[in-house]
Amino acid sequence: MQESIDAIVLRDVVKSFRKRTIRGEYTTFKSELLRWLRGERKPREAGLITALRGINLNIPRGKTVAIIGRNGSGKSTLLKLITGIYAPTSGVMEINGRISALLDLGAGFHPDFSGRENILINGIILGMSRAEVRARMDEIIAFSELGEFIDEPVRTYSSGMYMRLAFAVATHVDPDILIVDEILAVGDEHFSKKSLAKMKEFKRQGKTIVLVTHDLNTVEQWCDLAAWIDGGYIRRVGRPSDVVTEYKQAIALAEAQDVAFTPPALTEGGGALPEVFGVGGEAPVRISGLRLTDTAGGECPHLSPETAVEVRADFSAQGRCEDVEFEVALQAADGKTLYETSTRVESVALPDELPASGRMRLVLERLGLLAGSYVLQVTARTRGGESTERCPFVVNSSVAERGVFRPVHHWVVESVPVPVAPALVGNSHP
Amino acid sequence: MIRLVRELYQYRGLLLSLVQRELKARYRGSFLGFLWTFLNPTLHMLVYALLFTVVMRQNTPNYAYFMFVGLLPWIWFSSSLSAGASAISDRRDLMTKVRFPAQVLPTTVVVTNLCNYMLSLPLMLVLGAFYGQLPTWHVIAFPLVVAIQLVFTLAIVYILAAINVAFRDLQHIVNNVLTLWFFTTPVLYQTSTIQDERMRLAVLTLNPMSSLLVSYQAIFYEHRLPDAGPLAGLAVFSLVLLWGASTIFESRREEFAESI
Repeated sequence: MQESIDAIVLRDVVKSFRKRTIRGEYTTFKSELLRWLRGERKPREAGLITALRGINLNIPRGKTVAIIGRNGSGKSTLLKLITGIYAPTSGVMEINGRISALLDLGAGFHPDFSGRENILINGIILGMSRAEVRARMDEIIAFSELGEFIDEPVRTYSSGMYMRLAFAVATHVDPDILIVDEILAVGDEHFSKKSLAKMKEFKRQGKTIVLVTHDLNTVEQWCDLAAWIDGGYIRRVGRPSDVVTEYKQAIALAEAQDVAFTPPALTEGGGALPEVFGVGGEAPVRISGLRLTDTAGGECPHLSPETAVEVRADFSAQGRCEDVEFEVALQAADGKTLYETSTRVESVALPDELPASGRMRLVLERLGLLAGSYVLQVTARTRGGESTERCPFVVNSSVAERGVFRPVHHWVVESVPVPVAPALVGNSHP
Repeated sequence: MIRLVRELYQYRGLLLSLVQRELKARYRGSFLGFLWTFLNPTLHMLVYALLFTVVMRQNTPNYAYFMFVGLLPWIWFSSSLSAGASAISDRRDLMTKVRFPAQVLPTTVVVTNLCNYMLSLPLMLVLGAFYGQLPTWHVIAFPLVVAIQLVFTLAIVYILAAINVAFRDLQHIVNNVLTLWFFTTPVLYQTSTIQDERMRLAVLTLNPMSSLLVSYQAIFYEHRLPDAGPLAGLAVFSLVLLWGASTIFESRREEFAESI
């Protein structure tokens, strides 16, 4: 029974701020006195800014949920509400479990104190007891990889060391629900891998993670669910790839329509992005699953540039679909297309009538991409609409080549008689 | 008020650590380090002693010791107020990023200053011994007086800290009021030296700090038990004030994170 309860339940949660606190003007006795002397009875119309207009969201236990949306759409406000730093203006919130929030790294760090002393105070601020912090002290120090610096004052740390220490403390709090605000990318390559591994461990332990991020690849790779806040409401909750696709399309549409990107909370009606039509759902051909597999169809957890892979897209078709086109694109993590092809440009003969459910396979004898994060995107396009599916993947390589792709190649060094130009030899070393 | 105190108890680990840190931080990086705990009040005392024993002659015997007995608890009170007023508004980093009961912050200020007071007590006793004034059994009343002052100080600091979030100039007003308050409190003079009868009555009854300081002086300087009447009255007043303060504090705390 315990298992069925959602970790976080939000019902019609509204949050408004009084305008004067947002403009950063404090009332002082002087200003109140002046107002009284001028004979103004009431404070000037302060006005309300409604950041969240009615959030309904269930966050299931043990899931990793991403919250995405434009700048100023209320993501951080929502996190602060869940954490309890803010109180909702109206609405009901139900939190089941101990919450730990990583809204800011190093809260309460004192520059004159050593790393060790700051671990103690920061850990307690984050909700651990003194005994708990002491018990985990060695573990935290080991994780931060600060070595002997741990007994030096924090003010002597480099910013990377500071963040590492703060991250180490924050992730050693043992919560049921972890709230994370844009802090996964900390430190160098090695440490950010370690941080990701730590987050994976949280996931494996069945902890609920709520994540705010603008890194949409993280959302697709990491999260079980994505919630998109727009105009003060939850606009869409669902599979990360679906939500991210619609979000990107809405942004693209807004840019194309020259919609002014005003701060959402200050805009009449919440400043929601334009509605996107024809996404998934109604398209005659719908891609339901997309995987990058080995040639036998099995999982391939470790991709290298030389791996032979298959793109497998499962689709379902409704009615007669004669004009269907499959498009496969390999993109860099930033969305730049590296390679794109389609059944139309290659004039691939497709069956006259697509089966009601089937699978499209694209066989790549060799992946050819260098180490990095990429996104595979498959689109099924018909006159009646299109359906897109995205799937991120990572390629590892032990060779430190640079660039994007590895052509088939081999090296040859051999002795060949080369005619020497005497004039050039003389001039090159004046 | 019960909730406020209960949360303080729940977060006593945090309170303890913050107090420890404040105490350590105050003297870290300074040349004389922990000695400043003693040096500060001593220098204070020397200035006033010079003023009142050489420049303006007072008829109080062992004047320096007399003054020290009252000056130390006054420093506890006044530094708690001046630092406590901005205790919440200055910790934006904590208030907007982490959830914990806000009353921990002003409480930390008061408790830290209490610790400083306790740490400077040996200095007072040494000075007393120098004048031949050894503490007598009457010190059993001392913890009670300290407890009453603690409740009274906490109540005022809660109110100041809560209001200062919305009215930022309060912290400057507090410092000015404290100066006036200092001179209307019998720290530098004995109440018996006030000529005007009505004035003396006003100082003793309208100023809660007077009954406290007179009590400290009774214990350490006059070697008698403090008068029970004014102390009991102040104890009741302080508890009522703390109740009112926690009501104000509770009603405003939801705004703290948003307003600072």
